[in-house]
Amino acid sequence: MYSSELIKGTLKTIVLKLLSDNQKMYGYEITQKVKDLTGDKIQLTEGALYPALHSLEAEGILSTEVVNIGKRVRKYYTLTKKGKSASEEKVSEFADFMNTMKFLLDIKPQVG
Amino acid sequence: MYSLSDEQIDFILRDIKSRGVEMEDLQVSLLDHICCIMESELEPDGDFESFYRKTIPRFFKKELREIEEETILLLTFKNYYAMRKTMIITGITSTVGFTIGSFFKIMHWPGANVMLLLGIVVASLVFLPLLFILKTREANSSRDKIVLGVGTFFGILISLSTLFKILHWPYANIMWLTSLGILFFAFLPVYFFSGIRNPETKMNTVTSSMLVLLAGGLLFTITSLRPSKVVVMNSMHAYIQSEELLSRMQGQVSDSIAGTTLYSRINNDCQKIKGLILQYEIGMRSMPLKYENPDEGVFFTEGSLGGDFYDNGEGAKLISDLQDAVGKYNTARPNEQIPVSHSVLDIDMSKMGQYTNLSVLNGLVRIQMFLASAEK
Repeated sequence: MYSSELIKGTLKTIVLKLLSDNQKMYGYEITQKVKDLTGDKIQLTEGALYPALHSLEAEGILSTEVVNIGKRVRKYYTLTKKGKSASEEKVSEFADFMNTMKFLLDIKPQVG
Repeated sequence: MYSLSDEQIDFILRDIKSRGVEMEDLQVSLLDHICCIMESELEPDGDFESFYRKTIPRFFKKELREIEEETILLLTFKNYYAMRKTMIITGITSTVGFTIGSFFKIMHWPGANVMLLLGIVVASLVFLPLLFILKTREANSSRDKIVLGVGTFFGILISLSTLFKILHWPYANIMWLTSLGILFFAFLPVYFFSGIRNPETKMNTVTSSMLVLLAGGLLFTITSLRPSKVVVMNSMHAYIQSEELLSRMQGQVSDSIAGTTLYSRINNDCQKIKGLILQYEIGMRSMPLKYENPDEGVFFTEGSLGGDFYDNGEGAKLISDLQDAVGKYNTARPNEQIPVSHSVLDIDMSKMGQYTNLSVLNGLVRIQMFLASAEK
């Protein structure tokens, strides 16, 4: 498990990248997917995920689709056109950030 | 996999609501999320309630409402850049607006009041509130927020009272003094004592407090600049008495003389110019003789001729006609000349703003008096 501080700054990047790979997903699915993909190393907290999803929706980066499941309603999130470019930007920005951090913190690439 | 009954779903939704989550959108999302967790993690024969009690704390640190608060915070934060941009633009335009407006006002050019009005209104009702909202977001303690709040309130009130003073609107002085009171007795103490406790900001606080005190003190000093009511009232009564004296003198002028072209032309011009000035100044063509209380609306400002007098050209045209008539009169009667130099007739048309309305009115009455006394 990484500290929540580390995850906080990358939450939106993670969500956007997942959605660009998986078309449409709902909240719980996103947390599970991240958990699976990272072998439980990254666990998104619901307290951070939903505020982020709502604000991304308000910014027009995500669009939603509501599906009734028995008594309850499930909200599926998809990237909008704006969201697709935002996702690419976020990912490349983060890649650049990692290179800078590697240099800054003097992390030697592991050989072998 | 556990299967949730409708009652259990209702139970969860009720619990979410009772924990203070009010946004419907968020209720729905959380409900589905919690249901998903329970369905996938609870054994088919597990205990619903105890598992729910264990699950729900995953969503928050202290209480479930945090999610909603965080959402609202992020949603408003979305507007942050737009707000900051608006703040910067309105700040610059309004400051430039009322600074140029002030310059126009000094020069008696047209459009000054509009610029002052727009500039100050935008500065006090858009710029300052936005600044307050953005700054309180950065402020850490509630004490800082109070300082910002009181400061903003002072800023708005002093800006508006300046506007009211400039445009001669009512309650300007009471607003002005109230805002200075707020500055000295509310803002400064709160600002000073909150800043001085923190060693990092101590020195800064002392110097800024001194500067605020100095600026506030200077503002308080110029409070006395406003024309004293008594002084203005005295000059107004003096003018009314001159008019009264003039009408008695004119009563003694014989009809044959009063009928001459030059006499009536000079008198008519003077009456018309006085009418224009009075119309502009108090909204009436002539001064009411029974006048006691300035609160009834008949009150002279320290206004002067200028843009408005100039603009339609009527006043300026009448003055040059008067100059011409008096010139002719003086040539015709070398022994009873009406003094021209240093009188209204000597007026420099490009510097109308330097002649106050009252002095021009008095000058015109004196011309009429000279005329009436000479013709006797």
